[in-house]
Amino acid sequence: MTIHFILNGEDVSMNATSADRLVDLLRERFGLNGVHADCRRGACGKCLVLMDGRLAPSCLLPAFKARGREIVTYEGFAQTDEYADIAAGFAEAGVECCGFCDKGKILAAAAVVERSSRPTKEEILAEMAEVPCRCTDPETLVRGVQAAAERREGRRYRRASQ
Amino acid sequence: MAPRGEAAAGPAPGAAGLPARELILGDLSHPGMVHVQTIRSPAACGRLVSVKAPTLPKGYRLILPADIPGENRILSFGAELPVLAAERVSYVGEPVALLAGPDLSTLGDLAESTQVLVEEEEGTFAWKSFASEQVVAKRVAVIGDPELAFSIADKVLEGEYDSGALEHLYSEPQGALASFDYDKMAIWCATQWPYHVRDSVALVLGGAGEDVVVRPTRLGIHLDGKLWYPSLLACHAALAALLCKKPARILLGREEDFRYTPKRARSSVSLRTGLDATGRLTALDFRISLNVGASGPLAEEMLSQACVAATGAYSCPNVRIEGYAVTTNTPPLGAFAGLGAAPSFFALESEAARLASAAGQDPVSWKSRNVLRKGSSLVTGDPLKEEPPYEEIAERLGKASDFGRKWACYELVRKRRSGRADGPLRGIGFAFAYQGAGAFLSGGAPNSYSVEATLDKELRLSLKTSAAACSGTMIDLWRRSASELLGVPLEEVSVAPPDTDLSPNSGPVTLSRGLTVVNKLVERACVAIQKRRFRDPLPISAKAVYRIAKPLRWDGGRIEGSIFETAAWGGAIVEVELDPWTLEPKPLGLWLCADGGRIVAPARARAALRSGAATALSASLREGLEFAADGTIGAEYFRYGILPPGELPPIHVEILEADRRAPAKGLGELPNDTVPAAFMAAVAQTAGANFQSLPVGPEALADWEET
Repeated sequence: MTIHFILNGEDVSMNATSADRLVDLLRERFGLNGVHADCRRGACGKCLVLMDGRLAPSCLLPAFKARGREIVTYEGFAQTDEYADIAAGFAEAGVECCGFCDKGKILAAAAVVERSSRPTKEEILAEMAEVPCRCTDPETLVRGVQAAAERREGRRYRRASQ
Repeated sequence: MAPRGEAAAGPAPGAAGLPARELILGDLSHPGMVHVQTIRSPAACGRLVSVKAPTLPKGYRLILPADIPGENRILSFGAELPVLAAERVSYVGEPVALLAGPDLSTLGDLAESTQVLVEEEEGTFAWKSFASEQVVAKRVAVIGDPELAFSIADKVLEGEYDSGALEHLYSEPQGALASFDYDKMAIWCATQWPYHVRDSVALVLGGAGEDVVVRPTRLGIHLDGKLWYPSLLACHAALAALLCKKPARILLGREEDFRYTPKRARSSVSLRTGLDATGRLTALDFRISLNVGASGPLAEEMLSQACVAATGAYSCPNVRIEGYAVTTNTPPLGAFAGLGAAPSFFALESEAARLASAAGQDPVSWKSRNVLRKGSSLVTGDPLKEEPPYEEIAERLGKASDFGRKWACYELVRKRRSGRADGPLRGIGFAFAYQGAGAFLSGGAPNSYSVEATLDKELRLSLKTSAAACSGTMIDLWRRSASELLGVPLEEVSVAPPDTDLSPNSGPVTLSRGLTVVNKLVERACVAIQKRRFRDPLPISAKAVYRIAKPLRWDGGRIEGSIFETAAWGGAIVEVELDPWTLEPKPLGLWLCADGGRIVAPARARAALRSGAATALSASLREGLEFAADGTIGAEYFRYGILPPGELPPIHVEILEADRRAPAKGLGELPNDTVPAAFMAAVAQTAGANFQSLPVGPEALADWEET
């Protein structure tokens, strides 16, 4: 079957079978290696993407589920202003990741700040539970996401007032 | 020929100072590369009769032990294990052959059709009581006259504490990629010990160390789970590359990695303690059993670490230590956030709550009376040269957590309880520990390290050490140290990749050597450059080499040598609430205090301690692996749950200020050495009973309630 969807802001289409998982097609057809298929059980958080703004494990998603949706991977998100907010917020709070979970944590942060302009600790940690990694101190992570949310709000306010 | 590495777009936040593109093994590929699939033993113990693969398509190859051109073994800390089991198998999942070919899914089908025939024998899984042929390492040490001390002790108590197997959940499953780079075999893998990979591959291929170059990929979080196992997989990949004449990659899936790679060794510590009438420790007797699984590649080192840490943070004039590392037919078991000291700290600290109670004292008073002080005898008989700041740690923690008041209240409330209707139970526990760092105790790994520093004509400083395989935090620390000493701007200080052709051997990245030893070497090399700076023309190079002066020796019941280069001192308090109906212990707060010497980046040190505390608490509360009757892990990866960040209590960290001239010390293992015992003591207070092992979950508490 041919599937049309928006990938990182561009209209794309691809042929896929019903057995194909989104993660494999993102890596093999589109060369998006920011997603990894470590566990294929949706448990490790290495395959996360944003699907219509929500966090989704691409290793569990049949490719046809992407039809008509907007999929954003880390590579696409890294080109946005929202990424710059999160990167700056993380740097401000001193968030340091192991280099493997950072992409998932950035996308999880994106999903949280998209939903809430002032995310609570509970909201942030609930989303971050999708990226189980022993590397990052949760309190620093909360401060990082809250700093990112503030930056995003500030940027929106400046844009609106211009 | 270098592989194609696709780094994701955009720099990772907080990665300043690191190369912009760090390679992740899972992203490395190579034109014409073959994949490698492991064929594993179906039996835990027996004679390997045959390995029969189906007819293989063109381009696919079965690799058997007979195909190994060099030696079929890997050496680690004096132990050895086969690269591919040739005659006998010793655990379910042991590699017996390899299948190599271009398509991973075809390889999977071929592997399923491959028959491994084993004449099965009964496996050995007992390890607390064991046969003499299971013992791979033994330690005995006697200090003073313990038997006399026990005979005159006012009180004698006995206890037994077990620590179970734990999964590291490292950032990336284990793997390796091998490819010929002109006349050398090049290996890419995430390893803590690049030179061990190099020497292992050279041994297996029948070449010299110089014929192999190891280029470590991003390591991420490893918790000491990537010490020697990457060497085994590197040998598999190198064999496939050599025999198929193509680049070869082996990358375990998460489930495969979970089932067959080393977990934390299981340990059991039985101890007998003697107190005098004032509650002072007068005698200690330990029997330590360590289940190191098949082969036990780290057995010697882990047993030494466990034995020297047996007396924990306490001073006692009469001690007997008897330790055994025993092999079983489970997959090899090994290190976890340290090389074996944590279970010993856990045992004595858990017992300390009982000892305090027996002495009629509160835990802080009892501990403060018995802790190590300057001049206290260590297990080697040498006096402790520095004053451990335990009093200040206890004071800071007590103040921050309100320990004294809470502990007394919870004692009173528990004693007056009439039943479940009285509401939740609360408890609070306290533990001390130290993190000895720097030296390997078994002599099985190199105890000499080196760092090369070069200041070039453009006043750029480059540092070379194979320990650069470790974290960005450590690399940043070395850069800062060098920058401060030589007055070179931070951005002009670089650390060369830990490529074995470019960097000298600095031993494995563990035991906080990066901080305690390598940082010292960086400073020494920079001082050497500083002295020649305006005398000699640029470029100036200096090399600093370090050797442990007195390697540890166990001889006739005596221990001689240095048990640590330096030590970081710390303590933890954990407060828990126990739901009387669900019996679910819920942590309410965690307080940690550490003296880590000179702290170069305090915010980073605090964050590292907090994430370490989260890991230790998760292991105490939720984690733990059970083994099935055939020695396999009786769980699946995706069911192995760590404590979600939302369920963690507030974690309060204090770091004692140190002089700028004080040496930097490693802190990373302190949470793992203190938090489990503090958690255990807190749960024990809620229940008014002692428990033998962690995790203490509802099941263990239900058993306690019934009894």
